[in-house]
Amino acid sequence: MKTLFALMKKEYLETARTGKLIILVLLFSLFGVMNPAIAKLTPWMMEMFSDSLAESGLTVTNVQVDAFASWTQFFKNIPMALIAFVLIFSDSFTKEYKSGTLLLALTKGLSRYKVVLAKTVLLLFLWTLGYGLCFAVTCGYTAYFWDNGQTDHLLLAAAMWWLFGVWILSLIVLFSSLLQNNTSVTLCTGGMAAFAYLLSVMPKVKTYSPVLLMKTNFLLSGVEEAEAYMEAIVTAAVSTVIFITISILNMNKRQV
Amino acid sequence: MEILAIRDLKKSFGSKEVLRGLDLSVPEHSIFGFIGRNGAGKTTTMKTILGLLQTDSGQIYVMGEKVHFGQTRTNRHIGYLPDVPEYYPYMTPLEYLHFCGEISGMDKTDLVTRSNELLELVGLGQERHRIKGFSRGMKQRLGIAQALLNRPKLLICDEPTSALDPVGRKEILDILLAAKEQTTILFSTHILSDVERICTEAAFLDNGRIAMQGTIAELRSMRPSDGFIIETEQKETASTLIKAFGDLKATERNSLTFHGSKERFFDIMRYIAENRIPVQRIERIEPTLESLFLEVTK
Repeated sequence: MKTLFALMKKEYLETARTGKLIILVLLFSLFGVMNPAIAKLTPWMMEMFSDSLAESGLTVTNVQVDAFASWTQFFKNIPMALIAFVLIFSDSFTKEYKSGTLLLALTKGLSRYKVVLAKTVLLLFLWTLGYGLCFAVTCGYTAYFWDNGQTDHLLLAAAMWWLFGVWILSLIVLFSSLLQNNTSVTLCTGGMAAFAYLLSVMPKVKTYSPVLLMKTNFLLSGVEEAEAYMEAIVTAAVSTVIFITISILNMNKRQV
Repeated sequence: MEILAIRDLKKSFGSKEVLRGLDLSVPEHSIFGFIGRNGAGKTTTMKTILGLLQTDSGQIYVMGEKVHFGQTRTNRHIGYLPDVPEYYPYMTPLEYLHFCGEISGMDKTDLVTRSNELLELVGLGQERHRIKGFSRGMKQRLGIAQALLNRPKLLICDEPTSALDPVGRKEILDILLAAKEQTTILFSTHILSDVERICTEAAFLDNGRIAMQGTIAELRSMRPSDGFIIETEQKETASTLIKAFGDLKATERNSLTFHGSKERFFDIMRYIAENRIPVQRIERIEPTLESLFLEVTK
């Protein structure tokens, strides 16, 4: 346990001292502010464009925005934040392979599974921190301008999206245990997400695809109930555990 | 007692056979020179001892415990310094040593005193900057400190002096000599003067096998003397000797070398005595590790 804690401390120090932590905080706060801001500015923007829209035959009447619009923006923008997160943190393992820093740690009798666990826990912490920050900022402004109570199942929808992020993190860990460089890890993670997206449009299996966790709109608007997402939640959670377990097994066999 | 024993170790990378049945035994409290050309398999051997590479066949024992690939409990007996050690650049040397101590489960108070003591030993005691700006020599010295941190029974150094300038090399060799009191050292190199300076034993690695192994004195005695140097007082007498003995060769003004049979040498001595030729020195040419190495790896 002491070893694991020391490793996590090192991972945190790395994130803080290489400036990644501050980038993460700034980026996710910015996204957090952007969501209600875009919602708030929508009527004004519509008015600005009303002339050109009128020319193409569209008439802009009184545009009403509410908390729902702000949260729709949140779930529309968070994929971009996740992509940025993957790009920033996908080199967590590979840069250690490349530089040989991991080699020295392993020659000290360090168990390899602890390396996987420490890095996973830190990625999980950082994702939760960034996502939580973005959520809190959006929540604060939305409550200030409108009323969060207008949105159905908000917490469940947010938790589902968080879980989708965790699932993506487990893919980063999995591919990092198999591959040598950062680019292939990012590409394979993206590839798996694309594959999950394909599954989500196939009628028979679509309820099992983790990508369903991203489609929160029906839940927010009350069209769908929580039960509709149960299979996807279970698939994501179970496959995350499986991916991390496979990563540990891979790591134990890896020649460094 | 044997600290390290390797039996019939084989390892290939694809179709390239790097180790072809290597046997090695390193006794306790020795400084063991592991000599081989570039690409001879020195680093591969060291990485298999550390359980970082999977072997094709053969066994490795450290302190009598078998080494297993991947899960390497035996590494708690070993300190390792790679050829180009890399650290986390955002840490200071002290932070790095503390990190190393924590992951190897050292006691907190022991870790604090031990890391300060080692940083003093390697001359980084006053260094408060992050590792990012360190020179190669400084990294190499920090490497020795981290390798000695948990008082290993065996210190493995992979070409610790190869990339350093003469001052840096001397510093590293001095530190290794000082560390001899606490541990057994296995160090690979292709710089033979380093081996002659600090090693008590050595082995030549050639073609994936150990071509020769023994104490430095044993290795030297494996090859007969290379001949003699005869230096006369005057240049003229040197010329007289060359005229009398065709197999003498002039190397300098009044210095001659001789490579031949003992009888022939005694003939020359007799000639010198009979003709009362004044001689400055007569010296046997000692075989060097270098000549031995070249012969073994031919």
